[in-house]
Amino acid sequence: MAEDLLVVEDVKKHFPVTRGIIFQKQVGAVKAVDGVSFSVKSGETLGIVGESGCGKSTLARCIMRLLDVTDGTITFDGRDITRLSRPNMRPIRREMMMIFQDPYASLNPRKRVGQIVGEALEVHKLGTATETRRRVQELLEVVGLNPEHYNRFPHEFSGGQRQRIGVARALAINPKLIVCDEPVSALDVSVQAQILNLLEDLQQDFGLTYVFIAHDLNVVRHISDRVLVMYLGKIVELAPKLDLYETPKHPYTGALLSAVPIADPDRGRARQPVVLEGDVPSPLNPPAACNFHPRCPRFQEGHCDVEEPPLYPFGNGHVAACHYPLERWPLGPEEFRTPGAAGPPAEPSTVS
Amino acid sequence: MALLEVNDLKTYFQTDDGIVKAVDGVSFSVEKGKTLGIVGESGSGKSVTCLTIMGLNAKKNTITSGNALFNGEDLLTAGSRRLREIRGDDIAMIFQDPMTSMNPVHSIGTQLVEAVQLHRDVSKRAARNRALELLKAVGIPRAERRFDDYPHQFSGGMRQRAMIAMALVNDPDLLIADEPTTALDVTTQAQIMALMRSLQDDFGSAIIVITHDLGVVAETADDVLVMYAAKVAEHGPVRKLFNRPHHPYTWGLLGSLPRLDADVDRLVQIPGQPPSLLRPPPGCRFHPRCPYVMDKCKTEVPPLVGISDDPDHLQACHLDEATKDREATKLLETTMAHTG
Repeated sequence: MAEDLLVVEDVKKHFPVTRGIIFQKQVGAVKAVDGVSFSVKSGETLGIVGESGCGKSTLARCIMRLLDVTDGTITFDGRDITRLSRPNMRPIRREMMMIFQDPYASLNPRKRVGQIVGEALEVHKLGTATETRRRVQELLEVVGLNPEHYNRFPHEFSGGQRQRIGVARALAINPKLIVCDEPVSALDVSVQAQILNLLEDLQQDFGLTYVFIAHDLNVVRHISDRVLVMYLGKIVELAPKLDLYETPKHPYTGALLSAVPIADPDRGRARQPVVLEGDVPSPLNPPAACNFHPRCPRFQEGHCDVEEPPLYPFGNGHVAACHYPLERWPLGPEEFRTPGAAGPPAEPSTVS
Repeated sequence: MALLEVNDLKTYFQTDDGIVKAVDGVSFSVEKGKTLGIVGESGSGKSVTCLTIMGLNAKKNTITSGNALFNGEDLLTAGSRRLREIRGDDIAMIFQDPMTSMNPVHSIGTQLVEAVQLHRDVSKRAARNRALELLKAVGIPRAERRFDDYPHQFSGGMRQRAMIAMALVNDPDLLIADEPTTALDVTTQAQIMALMRSLQDDFGSAIIVITHDLGVVAETADDVLVMYAAKVAEHGPVRKLFNRPHHPYTWGLLGSLPRLDADVDRLVQIPGQPPSLLRPPPGCRFHPRCPYVMDKCKTEVPPLVGISDDPDHLQACHLDEATKDREATKLLETTMAHTG
């Protein structure tokens, strides 16, 4: 069994909300990420899904140490990197890279492609100028761009090509881990397929590990080995891909899955979506106990709003934080609303 | 007679580099109470088609030809005064990005009331009641209290719902929705789709949905128009188009879709990129990216014709039908095989 490349333990990221100009006083905190634990094995792809504002991107930035966590530990390749100083962090930055969502905003418009892709090589002083140039051209070829485009500017490329430049930049220094923050959300389906295939090929060729963040459940299903569902800064469910998509346990996961349109007129129209009421509550003042309870169709008064559900285990590494998990899948809207007698497994899981 | 009938619509833009043929000979019709889905990649001319119908293109440097008959009246030759009467009343539009298409300095309520009073000779109170009624209908919680809120105080989903309320406030006969759910999360998307469906049931409006999400099209549209590089690649009833797609571009789109309902080892990818509309390739515009390309495709533009045993289902491809049926079946087997 492959070892854990990345271990995230009880990570919290709270952004303080202050009042006053000179004497700033903290009046609250936005709990963007609130006690998240998981691990990623070497060579694996972990998908993270959730609605906007659930803390996916903040979590990614915490993993990359672009943000300092409020609490908890992040272990990368056996080393605690949570509080490493900048100079000590530098060699570790060679091992982890990030691909960003917006290919229009994440490339410096005043730099040439060669400089953008080669920047990390320069920063880490890996090789001479000629070597860097050769390496960059090799990378451009790997991601399916013409190496002769070395001297072009980002605006000369289409969205899909720009995202390829982003991928080439992430690959430049042979990282072990790549954190992809919505890498295909801004692209058309046909271009999206090209980038997804490219990411899969690269994973095979270079043994990469991905943390893949997206809000598109179809994309996450396609690329991930395991999937983590977040809601308001917390994990609601974590499971191997097939377990999650075929036997979701948490009502939120169920609602998400039932809301995805199916590209087949007959089955698509037959599907009965569980429409959630309202919007995601503010993370400034999240609901008590289970923070999904105000929108949950299975809400039981006096339990869900009093006692916070732990991550109950369902076997095969499948955990879900719900007192009244779904019995089977798919469920009709009526059954969805009425939890059966069978409660969650007796043993709450410790950190998995 | 169809509610909207578009014949051989062409929209050309004059630019410094030459003429961009953004829409090049598109025809379709929409019946009352029906939904037409228009799909295609960015830059395929979906949005320009609808903007042209609405008369929203800048007059300068735009050449338009063909006609768009709305209840028998040609919208392309109508004067701007007449168009202003039609827009927002008989034809309404929902724009893609509710953040940028609402006025940030007026409250949501004011904008809705304005939409009513522009077209109806009613008192402010009556207009306000009508606006409130619509805000409630689209599911804005505590609509009375949110009425005087500004767009920035609404979340993305609520803003999109307010946009829909504004579009529906005068009971339009035709609603054009340009990527109505693209910027939204799936749960909100499900709410908006359910809302549009129920409004269609209640008011019997016709809807044109522009989207690149084939899932949305499959579930909402009655007819589907697939556009590629300013031209129609395939056009037909939704079930026929999804169950027997007859154009290699449609196969590419369907194959490149990761699915929730099936495991595909590798997505089909359409190689290359959409062509520049400044200098589109000769012959079939899809030929440089088409895996089935023949010599004929490089020189002759394929006409948009019905399939021999199904004249409603139009497609523009030179391939023979036996091959197309075989390839379509193969594609459906690989994408649907795992679901039984």
